[in-house]
Amino acid sequence: MKNKIKVQRAIHNLTQDDLAKKISVSRQTINTMESGKYIPSTALALKMASVFGVSVEELFQLEEGD
Amino acid sequence: MKKLPLLPHAFQKLGFILLVPFLALGIASIGWDYEVPWLSYRTHAIINQHIIDFSTQNLTDEIAAVGNIITLMLIAFSKEKTEDEAIQFFRLASLQWAVIVSYLVLIVCIFSIYGTGFLTVMMYNMFTILIIFNIRFRFILFMHNKASV
Repeated sequence: MKNKIKVQRAIHNLTQDDLAKKISVSRQTINTMESGKYIPSTALALKMASVFGVSVEELFQLEEGD
Repeated sequence: MKKLPLLPHAFQKLGFILLVPFLALGIASIGWDYEVPWLSYRTHAIINQHIIDFSTQNLTDEIAAVGNIITLMLIAFSKEKTEDEAIQFFRLASLQWAVIVSYLVLIVCIFSIYGTGFLTVMMYNMFTILIIFNIRFRFILFMHNKASV
């Protein structure tokens, strides 16, 4: 699964720590999500999408093999 | 998402502190047959309605075993400082890993250790899932924290 969390973070000028506090997870978790090692739950994906004001589909895209 | 019930973070510290004396007691009890004198009591066994034996029992090994199980459980099932869904996922994944590894080790022991030696294996086997789980989970958390520095 691909994600654009890092891009959206840059657009909104948020650090990993800022985003982590907004959606109440640890900064490390943001990092593992950005690197694609951890796929968040639907609830967390929706929370992130609402922070960035985009749809979940814009934030996460399926890859071949998913 | 419904969260799994876990103890508050403070219990983890308590677990680590209590692990030291209980582990020492367990090793002393197994290795040198150490018995705490004031934990002895007189008991009798009743078999076929006859009291057959008055003997002295000592609770040292029982307390060491229960103490070690409880402290390992406190360490395993307390919340992390910032408990989020990724950590919950790691916890469950580590638990699955620990059960598989623990039973693989047991299978090897079943085929390679016989007689009273196997009883010793079963005694240690009471703790293997919790020990392997704790080591695996701590390792994953360590890598999780390290990767994002």
